[in-house]
Parts: sequence; structure tokens; C-alpha cells
Amino acid sequence: MKGSAKVKVPNGKIVEVKLDFDESINSIQILGDFFMYPESALKELESVLVGVSSSESEKNLTWIILETLKRNNATVIGVTPDAIANVIRKAIGNEVESNKT
Amino acid sequence: MKWRVIRLETRSAYSNMAIDNALIEGQKSGASEPTIRFYKWLPSAVSIGCFQSMNDEVDIERCNSLGVSYVRRITGGGAVYHDNKGEITYSVIAPEGLFPKGIIESYKVICGWVIDGLENLNIKAEFAPINDIIVNGKKISGNAQTRRDGAILQHGTILYDTDIRTMFSVLRVSAEKISDKMIRSAEERVTRVKDHANATQEELYDALLKGFTNGKDYEFGAYTEKELKRAEELEESVYSKNAWNFSR
Repeated sequence: MKGSAKVKVPNGKIVEVKLDFDESINSIQILGDFFMYPESALKELESVLVGVSSSESEKNLTWIILETLKRNNATVIGVTPDAIANVIRKAIGNEVESNKT
Repeated sequence: MKWRVIRLETRSAYSNMAIDNALIEGQKSGASEPTIRFYKWLPSAVSIGCFQSMNDEVDIERCNSLGVSYVRRITGGGAVYHDNKGEITYSVIAPEGLFPKGIIESYKVICGWVIDGLENLNIKAEFAPINDIIVNGKKISGNAQTRRDGAILQHGTILYDTDIRTMFSVLRVSAEKISDKMIRSAEERVTRVKDHANATQEELYDALLKGFTNGKDYEFGAYTEKELKRAEELEESVYSKNAWNFSR
């Protein structure tokens, strides 16, 4: 199945997720006009998210994103790990009650 | 610490982005001096942010029919239309230590040079975090920054009299939306130097030059052979390639 979702982070930038998933995420692209450097950290994050269960909670997704960005010494501006996690959940179509993005 | 200033020059989209890339690499090796460059794009071009999808952001067919080029930047941020006749772009490439560690603070410093430049034309502009400069609430300049290997690259555009209709026809807006309403709506969000000052583009460049160099030790210079060679390699292997430009 394919899914996508796009949000404008309040006081931030646009983040969009396009993914292909079944029980787990098969492929994912995180797009937008946010800033992240080193820029290679985003590719690394997408790689880490492939294989993650598509029923993973927003909280766990946030943790995975946070840890990956930390490991890559990434600086992110205009979007936050929890905003990315929220958009991933929306893209999977399993939107949780949180609507902070 | 002396800055090298590269006078306003015109290059292709690929070459402009390759030069910026070569200069930020050169900061690490010490091969490049801290540099301020001003440039234009020929042909006119769209640059997209590092994390944007080319096909989602840019009407490629429209660009091809108008002869407008397109390139992916190494910096994040959004899609920008660089009108050959209606816009000036700058880049600042220097050791990170010359700027505040905080991202917004460092944007504020360099955007302050743009604001000082506009002030020389009696245009009251202000910094609008994260990365915009506005006049009366409307965007006149967009800016994008990255840092790597201890160096900072910030580049940005200053709208002079950009053709708004063309801008919104190459940026991804469906043809039926290019109505008067759409143009009016765009004009509500965007403004240009020409809307505020009776200045020529040369006068804008002079004003920016003063804004960027005020209080600095600087001299006009040229790229080194080594920088140009590296830029040519990057242009050939990265910026002119679909593998890079359509990687998302």
C-alpha cells in the first residue's frame, strides 16, 4: 500500500512523507522545505525507517527519529522529530489523536 | 581577517551551485578564502531545496518550453525562481567560527547585511525568522544556509523586478490557477525592490555591495584555478545530472 501526508509545521516548514508499506515500511521519502545538515542524515533516517513496523506508535517513531538524528550529529530547523513521526503516522493512515503538526 | 568579494557575475544554474559547493569544500582545506559573491543566472532557473521533489515543485515541461533551467541546491529551503533580469543572488562562504553558533542568530547576521543594503535604497526591511526578509510583511528575500566541515554557506535571493507570472508558471501551480486571482494572491505575499525604490538593478547591486562589506576588511578577487577546476568537476558530475536533480 502507498500512503502520503503533508503538513506545515506551526512556525516551521513543510514536511511531507511518501511511503510504501504493508506490515512494515518498505520504502519512505521525507520531503519538504525544512533544513537539515549534514544533509546525508535524511537519507540515513529514511534507511533506518525501512523495515520499521507500520503499526509502530508515534512515540516510538519519534524516538527512532531522534536517535538517528543524534547519531548523525544532525541539526534540524523548521521541523521536529515528533512532527516527522506524526506525518509518518498520517501517511500510513493510522492517524492518532495528537494533532500538534 | 580579510574577505574576498566576487563582483556580480552571470553563470548557469549548474555552475552557480557548483561554485558554492567548491568554495565550502575549500574552506575546510584552507584553499578558499572567506568569500562573498554576487551572481545572476543565465538562463533563468529554478533552484529547489535539497529535500524537495523536483517533479512536485517544478513544472518541468513549462521550464523546458521557456528555456528555464532547474537545479537542486545543497541547502534546504524552498523552490526559488531566479529571473535572469529580475533578481540578484548572493552567497557567503566562510569558516563557521565567524558567525554565531545559533542558526537563527547566524541567519540574522547575514540577512542583516541584505537589510543594510536595502536600507541604502531607503527600503525598510526586516528579518523574519527562520530565513526570510520582509518589507511591509511581504517577502523580498529568501535565504538558505548549511554548514559542513566547520564552514558555513548561506545563499539568498533579492527580488528586483522578478516576473511574478513566469515565477508562478514554472513553480508547481496548475495552469488553470494562473488567473488574475492567483497573481494577485502571489503579489500579496511577495514584493520586489522595484515596488519600493526607483533604483536601477546596478544601484541595487551597489547598495547590496555596501551592505555586505560595510566595516569589513575586504578586497575584490577572483576564483583560484583550483576552485574553478573543482567547480567544473562538480558541475559535470553532480549539478548537471538528473541523478542529482531528480534524486527526490
